[in-house]
Amino acid sequence: MNKPAITLSKKICMLGTFSVGKTSLVRRFVHGLFDDRYLSTIGVQIYEKQLPSIPGRRAENLKLICWDLANIEKLTPAIKNYFRGASAAIVVFDLTRPATFDVKDIHLDAFKQVNPLAGLVFAGNKIDLLPDVSSPPSELADLAGSHSAPLLFTSAKSGAGVAEMFAALGQLLLR
Amino acid sequence: MPGRYLKQILKAHRTAYAVFDESLQSLDYDFRNSVFFSEKELGRNFSLWECFPLLAGYEDVVREILQGKLRQYLLEKINHCDDAGKLTYHTILLTAVQDKDYGATRLFCLVSDVTRETALEQSLRQKDYEVRVLRADLLSNGQFLHDSLLGESQPVAKVREFVKKVSQYQATVLLQGESGTGKSLVAKLIHRASPLSSAPFVEINCAAIPDTLMESELFGYEKGAFTNALSSKKGLIEEADKGSLFLDEIGELPLSLQAKLLTFLETQRFRRLGSTIERKANVRLLVASNKELAAAVEQKEFRQDLFFRLNVVTAVLPPLRELGEDILLLAGHFVELLAIDLKKQVTGLTPSLAQKLLSYDWPGNVRELRNALERAVIFCEGKLLDIDDLSLSSIRPVAESGLGNVQIPEDGLAFDDVERAFLEEALNKAGGNQTRAARYLDLSLDTFRYRLKKFKVRPGHPPNKK
Ligand SMILES: Nc1nc2c(ncn2[C@@H]2O[C@H](COP(=O)(O)OP(=O)(O)OP(=O)(O)O)[C@@H](O)[C@H]2O)c(=O)[nH]1
Ligand SMILES: [Mg+2]
Repeated sequence: MNKPAITLSKKICMLGTFSVGKTSLVRRFVHGLFDDRYLSTIGVQIYEKQLPSIPGRRAENLKLICWDLANIEKLTPAIKNYFRGASAAIVVFDLTRPATFDVKDIHLDAFKQVNPLAGLVFAGNKIDLLPDVSSPPSELADLAGSHSAPLLFTSAKSGAGVAEMFAALGQLLLR
Repeated sequence: MPGRYLKQILKAHRTAYAVFDESLQSLDYDFRNSVFFSEKELGRNFSLWECFPLLAGYEDVVREILQGKLRQYLLEKINHCDDAGKLTYHTILLTAVQDKDYGATRLFCLVSDVTRETALEQSLRQKDYEVRVLRADLLSNGQFLHDSLLGESQPVAKVREFVKKVSQYQATVLLQGESGTGKSLVAKLIHRASPLSSAPFVEINCAAIPDTLMESELFGYEKGAFTNALSSKKGLIEEADKGSLFLDEIGELPLSLQAKLLTFLETQRFRRLGSTIERKANVRLLVASNKELAAAVEQKEFRQDLFFRLNVVTAVLPPLRELGEDILLLAGHFVELLAIDLKKQVTGLTPSLAQKLLSYDWPGNVRELRNALERAVIFCEGKLLDIDDLSLSSIRPVAESGLGNVQIPEDGLAFDDVERAFLEEALNKAGGNQTRAARYLDLSLDTFRYRLKKFKVRPGHPPNKK
């Protein structure tokens, strides 16, 4: 007889400057929806999503508690409270806006300080907007490398790479 | 405090609460004043985790509160979206209270609706961010449009395919095509799509640099190598190390330097002028020429061995007249860009101008199209460019545009003399300013300089009109 599967809840945070597509990526993943309109997040919206189990791996169900954070204008104690207890973060960049590649604005250091063991996944989003001959900026690859994080290219709009990115995250969480 | 006051206070502050015992099971709650729990189906008894699944990860925070190590814990502006999509904001406060009757500690959770306060903050931020995104868009779009290969025609698709393929290899690429077919742009795109994209892209137009300077430009020099060499300087080959070096109009490279370039290509080694030290540079070479290099080889103007070395991966870029309807696409993009640059309201072309552009066999290249549109956008007062704005006669080939009645003397003339006279006149009219002079003749600065050199017109000394 199969043992009843245990459900593991894991908290993750979406980090990234304003309008890079944090909310859109989560909505694409959780609800399969995309909206062209931009509604800037204030505070945090929390989503839950059962991750598909990895066959032959463990009899575990992984439930993601996904904290879709607003752009962090100023690092306050209240912001650090949001970070608390996260097992991982998805760091999102807008491939069409190199200004979003600055991790100082994202307060990644503070996140790592609160959660020293948390895994990171880097997402270069809006890949659908890049002209087909241009390759994604290599500075992002360097950045991801320096944080030992996998870098995936996504489009919340077309859905490209989104499932792959969350699968990479699932791998990190089960490690 | 009597219970009914408490109820009023909670209502006035749009606050719900729940109380949990030390094993985190519910003891008491009132959710009436908050939509935060509206859709929750909780029984009479529930655990903290069932009530607040979002607290996963805060287990030790809860423990510290119950142990009295942490006085309170605040989670601000938690978004809540109801089934109808209405967004509200809530603040959650966790704190411990002592229940004296039972001598026990209770966990108190207060959830307050802060939508009114937060909505204002949201709308302010929204505006700020929208403006910042738009500004970034404008910048990058400008850059992107300036730097991308536009067009949907078959020939352009082929070029795009070519860029994609060759960018993945280190091989030298030779781009041929008339002037204004975008050779320099294609070189840039190859570099950018290649694994070297973050390394330098260095470009030089061989026609624009006097022969005497070309060698030191390319290979660099040591202090004292020649009279004016007051300090050492890296050459472009060194600047491009690990990246790409683009030599435009390679057909104009003096023969002596052709040999030196070939040696470098074969050995990846070179010496700066005035130096005995051999240096190494790993450079991907991209070259372009608007004259047929094969023909130049036959005329002994270009070394055959170098030609063979360069002529490995080549493409001939199509002129505008072969791109069919792409001319409209290009014109549209140029107008969009120019309107931004020139702060005009123009957004596109009228259908009749579009029709005219299509049926009128555009005689010039892309640069000339852009220049004509620039003049038109400057003078256009409306939202769409019309035929009158883009006076098509202004772009007709010289013979048709007012100079039609030139006369050729009985004993003929040398066409080179005519061209030289035009170059001198343009320089004269522009007071020696080459950029302006080039514009008078609707030439790019590079081409203008190239022709000055060809006809040995000395740019520094515009001849006075006799
Ligand atoms: N083309 C394209 N647009 C996207 C993509 N992802 C997001 N967008 C758009 O980008 C804008 C911002 O997306 P959001 O998801 O709200 O960005 P955010 O990172 O949550 O922004 P903040 O909450 O303000 O920090 C919206 O207009 C989205 O429609 C994408 O992959 N492709
Ligand atoms: Mg958001």
